[in-house]
Amino acid sequence: MTQQTSASHSGVFDVELVLRQARAYLAFGDQVRLFTDRLGEATEAETDWGEALQQHFTQLKVAIAQSAENPAVNPELARLWLLMADTWSETATTLGMATETIPDTLRQTEVWRTYQRTQGDYFNQLRDAAMKALDLMEQRLNELAVAGKTVSSLRELYNLWVDCNEDTYGRMLRSAAYGELNGRLFNALLRCYSRPEAQS
Amino acid sequence: MIGLTADQIAAEIEAFSHRLKQGAQTLAAVGEIETGVSLREPIYQEDKLTLYRYQPRVENPHAIPLLIVYALVNRPYMMDLQEDRSMIRGLLDAGLDVYLVDWGYPDAGDRTLTLADYVERYMGHCVDAVRDRHRVDAINLLGVCQGGALSLCHTALYPARIRNLITMVTPVDFQTPDNVLTHLIRHVDVDLLVDTLGNVPGQMLNFAFLSLSPFRLAGQKYVDLVDIFDDAQALKNFLRMEKWIFDSPDQAGEAFRQFAKDFFQQNKLVKGEVVIGNRRVDLREIAIPVLNVYATQDHLVPPAASKALAECCGSRDYSELSFRGGHIGIYVSSRAQREVPPAIAAWLLAR
Repeated sequence: MTQQTSASHSGVFDVELVLRQARAYLAFGDQVRLFTDRLGEATEAETDWGEALQQHFTQLKVAIAQSAENPAVNPELARLWLLMADTWSETATTLGMATETIPDTLRQTEVWRTYQRTQGDYFNQLRDAAMKALDLMEQRLNELAVAGKTVSSLRELYNLWVDCNEDTYGRMLRSAAYGELNGRLFNALLRCYSRPEAQS
Repeated sequence: MIGLTADQIAAEIEAFSHRLKQGAQTLAAVGEIETGVSLREPIYQEDKLTLYRYQPRVENPHAIPLLIVYALVNRPYMMDLQEDRSMIRGLLDAGLDVYLVDWGYPDAGDRTLTLADYVERYMGHCVDAVRDRHRVDAINLLGVCQGGALSLCHTALYPARIRNLITMVTPVDFQTPDNVLTHLIRHVDVDLLVDTLGNVPGQMLNFAFLSLSPFRLAGQKYVDLVDIFDDAQALKNFLRMEKWIFDSPDQAGEAFRQFAKDFFQQNKLVKGEVVIGNRRVDLREIAIPVLNVYATQDHLVPPAASKALAECCGSRDYSELSFRGGHIGIYVSSRAQREVPPAIAAWLLAR
């Protein structure tokens, strides 16, 4: 009899997984801090709390839209809602489809352009879900306010944000449109991979 | 309402950053995480497959051995993850003689393996090895998740070799409205996938699983991890689970092709249209006692997908065991350890 151990997998944890999400969480904290600063100013000026909240979410949506156009503007903020996009990119990379290493010959093909367009559609769907999540979060915060309840820590607020994203993302995931897009994305990637240019 | 000030947030961020810095060093020093705790020995090997027998934990184990067939995706050590989270240990403690099929890691040489290889050849040889060892005509079979679907096929094709069948979180009707995996694979060109890649990379399957709940599984989980950095036991438990999640074998291409198309996309198992080798799988041929174990909050195999077995199989001694939990919790939660192995053992020992 032997004590069983699994040796085929390295089993070494990738610390970067934690660090990436921790950085995204800290970016989230920065956004909330901006909001509370403005909220403090609004309170001093006796502005309506709900109005201040709405303004902040509007600004946040603009920031997210900007990070969608160009994640480099605020990469950590972008990472918050680009979780799935990141995961997809990593999957594509394991298949040898890392954007930065694609040969020029493949980039010039229609299959590659189709894949890029499909990936763009996919990211747009993710961004739309992220926007809806912010709407939902705003709604839930207002409901809490009406119920006289308070979110008293950054983590609590982050967890609410996660819940709202899972909610809106989950609805999107189960839609017929997403099922079709998901299939189209896989198939487009595979068509690139099957091109002789991809193997060079 | 947000009852937070900028100073509070700054303090929370600082505390988080401090824990993160310390924890990152701890994590980097943890090294390899071991899994699998119960003593076992290999009794049969074929290609990548290894059949293990676990050391009994009672003096006179039940005379009819139990063979566990796990899914082809993910690794079977989930059944024996650690001392206090081991379904196998629970079954051993309940007096059973337990065997497990470990499918191993398919490589490029395995791309032509078909479902017939898995269901008829590999499973057949494992069942024979256990039958011979115990000098019995029929053994007990426990199929887990996809392994449950393979076990249903094997039992339907070779009913005389199986005495009792247990299916655990096993999909039978793959097209219930709440089956998200089917929804995601419905429009994937499976032929293109297998023709292009040969074997299907485990990483690709991981993407599919993570995509079901990305904000929790790829985000919040790691933020929460920072809270347990100073709890060595909790940290090891987390890392053990994490290792299992990402320890995804590639899938033999041809077997994947048939499973994805026939089971997911065309739902042939419930229709009695699956063909293994050259034989049709008719679940009505399963007339032996069947225990169908499902999890009420299973997001991968919805309860309705499992419970469909009641209408398809031919057994007059069909029972269900409902576990209040999810697809993973049914193996590793504390309540699962208390509820599931004893219930399975009691059901078997009564037959």
